[in-house]
Amino acid sequence: MNQRDKPLPMTVLSGFLGAGKTTLVNHLLRHSAGQKIMVLVNDFGELPIDQDLIEAENGDVITLANGCACCSMGGDLYKAFSTALDFTPPPDQLLIEASGVAEPKRIANFAKAEPDLTLNGIVTVIDALNFEEMQSDPRVSDVIKAQISAAHLLLVNKIDRASERQRAEVEAKVREINATAPLVAIANGALASEIFFGPKITPDELPMIDAAHLSHEMQFDRWSYRTEEKIDAEMLRNMLRSLPPSVLRLKGIFCRTDKPGVWTVHKVGSHVDIGPVSRAFNPADTSEFVAIGMQNTNLSQFLDKAFSNLK
Amino acid sequence: MSATTVFSAKKIITMNPARPHVSHVAVRDGKVFATGTLEEIARWGDYTLDETFADKIIMPGLIEGHCHLMAGGIWKYSYVGYQDRVDPDGKSWPGVKTLENVHARLKEAETKLGPDEPLVAWGFDPIFLMDRRLDRNDLDAVSKSRPIAVVHSNFHLMTVNSTALSLANYVADMGVDGIALGADGTPNGELQEMAAMFPIMRRLGINLRELGRTRASIVAFGKVCNRVGVTTAADLINDLPDEDVDEMQDITAAADYPIRLLSLLNGLAQPADETRTRALELKPKSTDKLRLGSVKIVTDGSIQGFTARIRWPHHYNGAPNGIWNIVPEQLNTLVSILHDAGIQMHIHTNGDEAIEAALEALEIAKTKNNRPDILHVLQHCQMADRAQFRKMKKLGVAANLFSNHIFYFGDKHYELTIGPDRALRMDACQSAIDYDVPFTIHSDAPVTPMAPLFTAWCAVNRLTESGRVLGEYEKISVAEALQAITLGAAATLQMDHEVGSIEVGKWADFAILDDDPETIGAENLKNVGIWGTVLAGDKHEIR
Ligand SMILES: [Zn+2]
Ligand SMILES: [Zn+2]
Repeated sequence: MNQRDKPLPMTVLSGFLGAGKTTLVNHLLRHSAGQKIMVLVNDFGELPIDQDLIEAENGDVITLANGCACCSMGGDLYKAFSTALDFTPPPDQLLIEASGVAEPKRIANFAKAEPDLTLNGIVTVIDALNFEEMQSDPRVSDVIKAQISAAHLLLVNKIDRASERQRAEVEAKVREINATAPLVAIANGALASEIFFGPKITPDELPMIDAAHLSHEMQFDRWSYRTEEKIDAEMLRNMLRSLPPSVLRLKGIFCRTDKPGVWTVHKVGSHVDIGPVSRAFNPADTSEFVAIGMQNTNLSQFLDKAFSNLK
Repeated sequence: MSATTVFSAKKIITMNPARPHVSHVAVRDGKVFATGTLEEIARWGDYTLDETFADKIIMPGLIEGHCHLMAGGIWKYSYVGYQDRVDPDGKSWPGVKTLENVHARLKEAETKLGPDEPLVAWGFDPIFLMDRRLDRNDLDAVSKSRPIAVVHSNFHLMTVNSTALSLANYVADMGVDGIALGADGTPNGELQEMAAMFPIMRRLGINLRELGRTRASIVAFGKVCNRVGVTTAADLINDLPDEDVDEMQDITAAADYPIRLLSLLNGLAQPADETRTRALELKPKSTDKLRLGSVKIVTDGSIQGFTARIRWPHHYNGAPNGIWNIVPEQLNTLVSILHDAGIQMHIHTNGDEAIEAALEALEIAKTKNNRPDILHVLQHCQMADRAQFRKMKKLGVAANLFSNHIFYFGDKHYELTIGPDRALRMDACQSAIDYDVPFTIHSDAPVTPMAPLFTAWCAVNRLTESGRVLGEYEKISVAEALQAITLGAAATLQMDHEVGSIEVGKWADFAILDDDPETIGAENLKNVGIWGTVLAGDKHEIR
């Protein structure tokens, strides 16, 4: 077993058969913004991941077979997770492409329990064209519901091919199941890596990366904030939880009022995670936050206000 | 000319209806050459008479149609189960009956470990030790410095000590499902399901899949089979990379390896096309003692883990429905692809909704392309109702029923998981007989211990641990149960022309018994003494 010097962020990509998970994975590998992404594939029903993307060295792929504990004694899960965690060179991101029938919460539990993993959110893709039809199959409707309700970020895919009415109906149905997670409409599985994995704000990469990566994503706004003041972690957590779903991702490093050292926070949907920065790092007592949100939602205005109210 | 050996016995049960009982069996070139009286056999020419079994009962070698190689390797760890067991090397492990027994067993095991080795035990069954749950304090009393993990018999749970908890940073409430908390709000040492167990397993090096792959485990597995009269066993899921296949060929080829081993390719570890290609590639690597080329498909979870896919009205206690491992629609595609290629499938289905999905997939495949040459099998098939057995018959599909569940989990199914109506009909051997569905019964070792005569006892008596009869109607006769663990199993493995009965031309694979299962009485079937086995005419006495 390799000991990692910081936990590996793990994002669970869930979504029913044909929703476009693999297309999204291919897109993320192609636009990885320099991050090394390890993909754990648990779905063999869709298109395969592009071999040339794997070979281009910004990604590695491990397969994770399905199986019940009674027959496999969890052997497949053990093998997949230990391979990912012991991999050299260590990846920057672990992306689990869950099978069409996986309950993402069960997979996310691995990241919550394993100290060398940290949950970077559950992202669920929904097929704007097929959602109604899939939902009407009683054998899988509970699974689809579980995938949507567990999501911290919802992606409605194939929006370019959906009619206005279809789009509105799907969104309404999805909102009935999950009212709080940000909901983003996408086409052809194209989504900026920063939204999927969260903006980069690791100690190594300060100051923040430039906004150019988002430039082709016209529907989003970004926001950043810097303060010299120490922050109350509990107040921060509560404030982040109360933010509207138009805030897609938020990350930060900060100094706490109650504890020494440097801390990180990331938020995606209802999932807010605060933890210590394990590596020695001294940002001269500055706290920094960066967020990505939907366009035309007054992102900067209300975030500035929310953060200035923290004191 | 090859030599002929004639074995005499007190009684030989052949499972050949034309000649069900004989006194002698002749073996030539590893095959049954003749059966009958010594006079009849003598007319074939010279022979050597072997009277080793003169006071024994010979029956066809027993066949375990669903188990896992790990049943051998798991004995690397200390056994702390309730029932008395004997390990592959013949060491007796008396069952632990109290928490004090558990303590003593662990203490003893601890003295044999090196300073840096973790203490791992398995087989613990809290159902029997009802006074209270085992917790970290019990294990801290064994050692405060060495990490300890006690894996429960169902492999879904483990209990660990404080040292192990702190290795994984489980020291406060982390809000993780599966990390059980004590009265003081901190983890009490009990961990439920893989996500919560993984950090401990990783740090203690408890890799159950690897355990099944090792040479030592495959060798030990052969001994486990031998001890219970098994001469053919199916390892129900394996990734089967080339290096493992080479090693399995090598191990099974040894004259002292006492079984024919089948190993099934995991059908959900790669896209359907690749599964087909690999299965076709594996088939010609088969030998007399290693059989490859069939595929395992896991559709749902387990009933006791509340992860089986169950039809309305779902779980008796209101728990949410279980999990699929494959989208039913995807199953349809996979099944058709493999079926068209002539690949036999063993489809894991516990709940009746999963059984329905599997039958639907098979119906689609068989309607397009009948292929009467292949017999597909529903594995576990625990909740099938009679309509589903009728459908199995129509489609020509076999069942491998999990009769050991009746004893080990029957009370739980009656009271908690699926309720009386469906518990009383589960693992329905009589219904399989009523509708003429080829069937066998299994242990899923190491989930429950391998011992086909015990499994037969379960199917015949249908008694739960608490002594309840779980469905009078589905009981079968001793003769039918013996058929299920020999010819029935052989049929599900598509080997009934080679093994499963003592008939001319078949392999001379025998179970050698001290008692007569046909006369010992239904209630005593599990107590039949076993001398060992004969494989292809070679004697393998239990050591
Ligand atoms: Zn099994
Ligand atoms: Zn199973």
